[in-house]
Amino acid sequence: MLGLQRHRGALTVLAGTFVACLAVMLGGAALGAIAFPFPTVLDALVHPSTTTEVGRILWDLRLARVLLAALVGAALGISGMLLQTMLRNPLVDPYLTGTSAGAACAVAIGIVLGVAYPLLPLLAFVAALATAALVAALARTGAGISTERLILAGVSLSALFGGVVTLVILLAPTQSMTLSILGWLGGSLAGRGWNDLRVASVYALIGAIAAFAFAPALNALRLGDRRARALGLDVDRVQWSIVGAASLLTAAAVSVSGVVGFVGLIVPHVVRRLVGTDARVALPASALVGAIVVVGADTIARTLVPPIELPLGVLVSMVGVPAFIYLAFRRRTA
Amino acid sequence: MRAGALAYGGCRVLEQVDLDVRPGELLALVGPNGAGKSTLLRALAGLMELDGGQVAVDGRAIGALGARERGRIVSLVEAEGPVPAGMTVAEVVAMGRLPYRAWWRWASGDGDRAAVDVALERLGLVGMASRSFEELSSGERQRVWIALAVAQNATLLLLDEPTSHLDVRHAYDALTLVRTLVADGKGAVVVLHDLNLAAAFADRVALLGARTLLACGSPHEVLEETRLQAAYGIPIAVRHEPDGRVVTFVDVAAR
Repeated sequence: MLGLQRHRGALTVLAGTFVACLAVMLGGAALGAIAFPFPTVLDALVHPSTTTEVGRILWDLRLARVLLAALVGAALGISGMLLQTMLRNPLVDPYLTGTSAGAACAVAIGIVLGVAYPLLPLLAFVAALATAALVAALARTGAGISTERLILAGVSLSALFGGVVTLVILLAPTQSMTLSILGWLGGSLAGRGWNDLRVASVYALIGAIAAFAFAPALNALRLGDRRARALGLDVDRVQWSIVGAASLLTAAAVSVSGVVGFVGLIVPHVVRRLVGTDARVALPASALVGAIVVVGADTIARTLVPPIELPLGVLVSMVGVPAFIYLAFRRRTA
Repeated sequence: MRAGALAYGGCRVLEQVDLDVRPGELLALVGPNGAGKSTLLRALAGLMELDGGQVAVDGRAIGALGARERGRIVSLVEAEGPVPAGMTVAEVVAMGRLPYRAWWRWASGDGDRAAVDVALERLGLVGMASRSFEELSSGERQRVWIALAVAQNATLLLLDEPTSHLDVRHAYDALTLVRTLVADGKGAVVVLHDLNLAAAFADRVALLGARTLLACGSPHEVLEETRLQAAYGIPIAVRHEPDGRVVTFVDVAAR
């Protein structure tokens, strides 16, 4: 693996993506039911205060939400890049490890059983990790993980939990419960705040640090498991660690936002085009592009038809998928 | 390897294999398809559990070595496997330096870069260092894998059919390079299908067949008509030239 200085072009793009991410986050903080000019937002950020209207809206509501959206996008982006690279499969989604299906199942049952709303993120987080652990256990062969078994186990368990969620929706005693479950499945950051950010960011940070630490090992896995093993890489340990980091990141995201699909699947594709496949550059780029997508989508979700908030996951799919198809189609015909 | 037994998919493919590889020696591994040559190579690399017997390097069981230590001692080059996506030739070759760094270290050192430059130079890949690996022909890819092994700088080189996709000139170049590495004191085990290349470049030839090691010795001793016919099931003529070379060919007229 060569020094990062040989990736000068990619690093420039990475710096540009970072600036774009900051700009989108600033836009997310400025826009809403009440829009503020950018200088006003910058001033309120530099001089934190909740005594003014701008300060209250920004510090009590919008900033936490923008940061949460960035966290969700970054976590799903990194997780998608980790799993697609490790499994050498561009169709892999971070929800492959069953995290979203397990969390959805637990939340649906929790809502019907009357679990308090503030406890749902914790329930989702535990269920997401438990499902990922079950999928990993099923995929285990000897000391390592079979990539084919991981995909099969993830898809199978996701289908099983998806069936349970549908059944719970059909049997839910009240319409409000049905709507709550559907709202969670549609993905949303409505009502989330600093407390959710504090909890989720701890787990996401642990997952991100592990992911970045394993970037060189992830690069070696691009040669194939056996070649990486022949080069002295402890492939089994690396695989377990990457699945663990990806699950932690996805569980942290799912616990606060519900199911936001598409981000973890498509962001790695966009990033590979922007900066290439070296994990040392591609992982931070995935975090930034993921954050841009989710912060942008969340801003649109809460400003397009106020005061109604559109489901975040639905919006990401409806705007993001056509945009991605356009990009892919343009590239093929270019 | 002592009394080595290997199974693949629950089926014994090799038993009672005793094989030594010495420093400064090129050992050619020959035999018909399915004889277990690649399997034996993986076992020698410590990447496959034995069904019996043991593999030791300098008296130490290969399984007792740490992964990185093993990577510095033994390198395995297989042409078959996933094609790394989005990597340049130099990046693939640079992977050979992995055993010399902690797994979490992001940057490579000056020594690593120098080793990669030497490997690219020796395989004639300097001009295509920044080319995408995916765009290369199979023969060019094969040279890149050998360059990776050169950068890895292990004591024992295990090469699985390194000339299978190479033209005559590049096959000659690749094996000449292996000979120079062997002259530097490394040991090499090379799986070859071309018996003439084996005879020309190897110090010793190991012939696999009938689920065991049929013979191991100098090309003169091993490449013998009756033995080759028993291993391959077709008549193979062997000529011993006055200058000491051994030449083999399929004796079509004798069929």
